Amino acid sequence: MLENIISELEKQFQLEAVDHNSSDLVFLTIDRDHAVMAIDLLKWKFGYKHFVLLTAVDFLEEGKFQLTYILNNPDTKTDIGVRVRIDREDANMVSAHHLWPTVATYQRELKEMFGIDFPGSPRLNDPFILEGWEGTPPYRRDFDTKAFAASFYHQREGRTTNDPATYMKEKLYPNE
Amino acid sequence: MGTLKDILSPFSVWKQVLKEPVTIKDPLNRAGSDRYRGFHQNEIDRCIGCGTCEAICENEAIDMVGVASIASKDGDSGLRPMVDYGRCCWCALCVDVCTTGSLKLSNVYTWVDTDPDNFRFIPGIDKKPWDNAEKGYVKPDNYELYPLERVSMDHLHPEERDHSFIEIMKGYSDEEALIEADRCVSCGICTATCPAHMGIPEYIKAIRNKDVEEGLRIMYETNPLPEICGRICTHKCETVCSLGHRGDPISIRWLKRYIADQVPESAYADVLRQDSVEQNDKKIAIIGAGPAGLSAAYYLRQLGYQVKIYEKLQAAGGMMRYGIPEYRLPYDQIDKDVNYILSQGVDIQYNVEVGKDISFSDLHKQYNAVYVATGLHQGRSTRIPGTDHKSVYQAIELLRKITNNEEIEVAEKIVVIGGGNVAMDITRSLARMQKEKYGKVQIIATSLEAEGKMPADLEEIVEAREENATINPGWGPREILIENDKIKGLKVVKCLDVFDAEGRFNPSFDESEEAFFEADMVVESIGQGADLGFIAPEFMEQLEKDHRGRIMVDPLTYQSTLPWLFVGGDIIEGPDVIHGVANGHKAAKGIDLFLNK
Repeated sequence: MLENIISELEKQFQLEAVDHNSSDLVFLTIDRDHAVMAIDLLKWKFGYKHFVLLTAVDFLEEGKFQLTYILNNPDTKTDIGVRVRIDREDANMVSAHHLWPTVATYQRELKEMFGIDFPGSPRLNDPFILEGWEGTPPYRRDFDTKAFAASFYHQREGRTTNDPATYMKEKLYPNE
Repeated sequence: MGTLKDILSPFSVWKQVLKEPVTIKDPLNRAGSDRYRGFHQNEIDRCIGCGTCEAICENEAIDMVGVASIASKDGDSGLRPMVDYGRCCWCALCVDVCTTGSLKLSNVYTWVDTDPDNFRFIPGIDKKPWDNAEKGYVKPDNYELYPLERVSMDHLHPEERDHSFIEIMKGYSDEEALIEADRCVSCGICTATCPAHMGIPEYIKAIRNKDVEEGLRIMYETNPLPEICGRICTHKCETVCSLGHRGDPISIRWLKRYIADQVPESAYADVLRQDSVEQNDKKIAIIGAGPAGLSAAYYLRQLGYQVKIYEKLQAAGGMMRYGIPEYRLPYDQIDKDVNYILSQGVDIQYNVEVGKDISFSDLHKQYNAVYVATGLHQGRSTRIPGTDHKSVYQAIELLRKITNNEEIEVAEKIVVIGGGNVAMDITRSLARMQKEKYGKVQIIATSLEAEGKMPADLEEIVEAREENATINPGWGPREILIENDKIKGLKVVKCLDVFDAEGRFNPSFDESEEAFFEADMVVESIGQGADLGFIAPEFMEQLEKDHRGRIMVDPLTYQSTLPWLFVGGDIIEGPDVIHGVANGHKAAKGIDLFLNK
């Protein structure tokens, strides 16, 4: 069943990769400029009318973000994941909010957490959960979580720790 | 401006005042799923306080804290992880990295307390309702954050080595050393157990940073014999390595050798260069150029003292050169370490025997302090009938002669009495010489201790057998049978136990179970003693000794009851090289303390 859809899609789009996870889930990798067109087609022609989620992964070493759109066909109970790899520098992607209004919310989240732009997406720059974030978006892998926490949060009073080797010297051979 | 509703609505909450609170402790009392990541459990007796959980925690949720009921000891820091649940994000990396497997997460995730400080506690020590919960998260078996197996070292196979004295172990390549160094979790548990307290995690880190020169500098802070110790150290450190709990301990000894091997002798002066040491005119005499004497000499020179070593034999190294065979420790590697120490301005006189060529009291007169590190070079005899035969030898004498390239008797059939490392050394050396001379090996080593209880390192026993020596332990020697002035062999009886109920050396035998090992030559290797005859009686009398007649010294300074006399090396502890290195270093500091009072 999924094979038919894939071969239909292949007539119109270049699929960079097809990864079968199971009989009811397949991931298709499509280039940035054609991915939303393919999703459009999947929604209206192939019945993938339920948008499940949109998420991103930071492939820092490769200089890429990978976006993943999960779509569901409630009639055939199958899922298709559409993967798109975009440049990490000046990261931006064609918006898909016109297909499902909820996509705008996911795009707002990705803008805030990864700094990925979706031009034209409604309320894109409204704070999502961070409220006034400045600097590197926190889900980027070059964001230093530990340094941020140390500078931003109040430290609990009275915490001390010990280095095992130093502690053993104090206990076992303090005068050597 | 607010509407009327804005003004009145706060009062509406008053109607709730007598109702039951909506927030209740645990509405459904529902258990977490089987592998839910809830509060920590730590098997306290299994945990060794290595702090790897703290190191991996990205949230800094874990502190290593001392616990009153747990003492620091070899292999256990005595610390235990305290978790701050204000920071824990339940990622369970601490569980995945745990070197002993003591840390788990229970599937209990609900716990209500009104005091935030109660959410900081030591799992396993501070008792909690989920301590015995059976479900929760344990590290899955199908992945490890570090390899559990050590990188093996290329070595000569038995048929390649059984007829020669070429070094067996070939050393790590850069790539192998890097992989092995990368397994180290840098916990530092090993440092306390190393007699010299070497900076082990630090020099392993230097390998990871591809900076062997830094590694060499770190090693010389505590051990000026890295080529030697990198080959034949008794590596007590590896017995406590945290990785040894679930896998192979880090190959600490081979990594040490790797660092020293990478830096050529000609580069040592540059790599180890330091700001010039302020010299003083105080003179120290050291008797014996073994590990302890060399170590003391090196560190005394670092402190600016004028040092002279008196060595009875024709080369430095002591037991390292004259005891340990070349296939384990090549002479050029000894020379590399020794030469660097001597290059620091250590004066050494070979072929001088204190007590004969120069008197002990002369040393006392000429020097501000004297350090005695003459070792254990006198072989002990079993004193069974027949030991006075000319073809009965002491292992230690034969090993010395082999080093000196002197002719020794190599009979076709040999029995070695002893089960320690020296016994293995002479067995394997003679086996090589038999192979060369006769084309086959007929040597039996026998010991009181039964299989598995021999004091020799297991690898020595295994390798000796690979080289076709017979190791037949668990027998007590009774008599060397001699016919027509020729040795026929060794009569033995079954040894039941070496120690008595009180743990004292007191072997018991089954006289009815006899055996006979044919031989033309017998070698005794049941231990060595110190020969301190060179210390003149008037001084000997003033030295405090224990019930076994051993000289007592201060455990920190190695100073004897004669304030100017310091004693160390195998005479005091060990016997092994690393103890000698350690106590030579301590004696140097002790001498410095004594002379600067």
